[in-house]
Amino acid sequence: MTGNQSLIRDERMGIKLYKDTKLDRPDLVCGWPGIGKIGIMAIDYLRRAIAAEELGEIEPWDFFEPRKVTIRDGLLKDLEFPTNKFYYQRLRKRDLLLFIGEEQPAEGARFYATGEKAYGMANLVLDIAEKFGCQRVYTSGAAVTQTHHTLKPKVWAVPNSEDLVDEVRDYENTVLMSEIEGRRGQGAITGLNGLLLGVAKKRGIKALCLMGEIPYYLHGSPWPYPKASISVLEVLASTLGIDIDLIPLEEMARKIDESIEQFLGSLYEAEAIPSPIRNQIKESIEKMKHVRESPGPITDEDQKRIMEHIDEFFKRGKKGDERAG
Amino acid sequence: MKELVNVRSQPELENASLVVGWQEDAGKLGPKVIDYLNKHIRGSTFCEIEPVTFFHLGAVVVDNDIAQFPVSKFYAGTRKDLVIFESTEPPHERYRFLNSVLDVAEHYCRIKEFYTVSGTIAPIAHTSPRRLLAVFNQPEFQKRLRGYELEDMTWEGPPAINSFLLWLAHKRGISGVSLWPEVAFYLAATQDPRATKVVLSFFDRKFELSLDFTGLDSEIKGQNEKLALLRREDPEIDKYIRTLEIGISLNEEEQLRLAQRVAEFLEKPPT
Repeated sequence: MTGNQSLIRDERMGIKLYKDTKLDRPDLVCGWPGIGKIGIMAIDYLRRAIAAEELGEIEPWDFFEPRKVTIRDGLLKDLEFPTNKFYYQRLRKRDLLLFIGEEQPAEGARFYATGEKAYGMANLVLDIAEKFGCQRVYTSGAAVTQTHHTLKPKVWAVPNSEDLVDEVRDYENTVLMSEIEGRRGQGAITGLNGLLLGVAKKRGIKALCLMGEIPYYLHGSPWPYPKASISVLEVLASTLGIDIDLIPLEEMARKIDESIEQFLGSLYEAEAIPSPIRNQIKESIEKMKHVRESPGPITDEDQKRIMEHIDEFFKRGKKGDERAG
Repeated sequence: MKELVNVRSQPELENASLVVGWQEDAGKLGPKVIDYLNKHIRGSTFCEIEPVTFFHLGAVVVDNDIAQFPVSKFYAGTRKDLVIFESTEPPHERYRFLNSVLDVAEHYCRIKEFYTVSGTIAPIAHTSPRRLLAVFNQPEFQKRLRGYELEDMTWEGPPAINSFLLWLAHKRGISGVSLWPEVAFYLAATQDPRATKVVLSFFDRKFELSLDFTGLDSEIKGQNEKLALLRREDPEIDKYIRTLEIGISLNEEEQLRLAQRVAEFLEKPPT
């Protein structure tokens, strides 16, 4: 935190609130890093778009390792942890709380929230939601699927209550799990996006997870996938009743698309991959460009084999970058 | 705390300083310093941190034919002004672990200050003097230790566990300093007794320990003689070390070659 902000500290909760603000039955919108940075990019963009103010933070040291130390002239000046901050804004139609975490609390070397720490974090977030009288919680993330990067990503919506199903059916460009071919309404949401939905259900708070589609061949890529963040933001803007200028994000999405095209071009020509596999990869990816609803069958085994080559290709790119750096 | 810490006895301490060393360290510096100090004060364990919360106990690591197990022990001995903590670095839950260390230091030992000891790898020759770099968590403590030939460290990047401990101690109002003696990079995988002596000399002076350096001086002499022999046998290695001695850096490949050759040579059983 910065400056001389007054602290209202709740030691038991591990939460610092910078100010004692009154909000009128706000909704809470949460974002964390995940595949394609879809959730965090959407929520951070929303934060800037509505000029949300800092409200407080979850003290990080119980959940995260420090990531940077600053030592000057023999004195330890600062130890930096990933931040987990709450923001707020009073909008025309409703008040809004936002929670943005720079990392998901995980155990061991896992990337996604797991275990006691994740459960603790989910509960702290919902403690704040309840303190301010939140009516509804939104989480956001990625839905890895067989789509093509040139297509507009749909948003997969998972509510934690029957009451929300009809409302979700009215959202534009959004699907329920039961509407996705082969899913029969089943699925799993990893990390805090899912856990928060569950813990909210346990507490009787309505919650909805919005997941922007990302092509399966990009889920291990180093790039963000703003195209899916845009789809998530469109749903949020509509349901929250706000206007958001998405042009800068669309410009970013266009540049990322160019990088993806270059990457795929290199992948299709890569001599390190046997020619029949390369052809299979190209055919599998390119056919999805033309068939939106049902891209045709691809077995789990084929997808796994294709991904092994694509992931290897991404890793090689990373090594090159590091050497150059 | 009851579950995490096992206190066996209450040591007799007065205005004590805590010295912290970690088992895995460049040039085996931490373990050597702790061992030297412990022998001098005839230290015995009075408390340990239970490993189950902080270490993977699913398998026991075997190193150099010997089964290893995490250690996190406090020692006290003949000196009322010194208490020692030696530990394996915990791979996770470091916040809780370091708070447990500080709980013992603050409530059982009532320490006035603490010192951590770890080697910092430097691009220097083994024949060069070793600087003793320092990081303090309070400027007042830094002022008090002026005159001990400590050099101020400046660094920005991923934190070592010592910095995490300094930061937590600062939150509790406990003064602390991390001592970082330079370790010649090609001795990091084996031992750097000269770096060890730099730290022990500091403690000797600070706490008026009257340490006997005969054994350490003999180790330094023995290592210097071995490396002199290697330089005579291998002109390439001699060239690399001479380059370092005149203050010129080696490239990555040369550094690797020198480190590998020195490690092989020093670890070779005597013929």
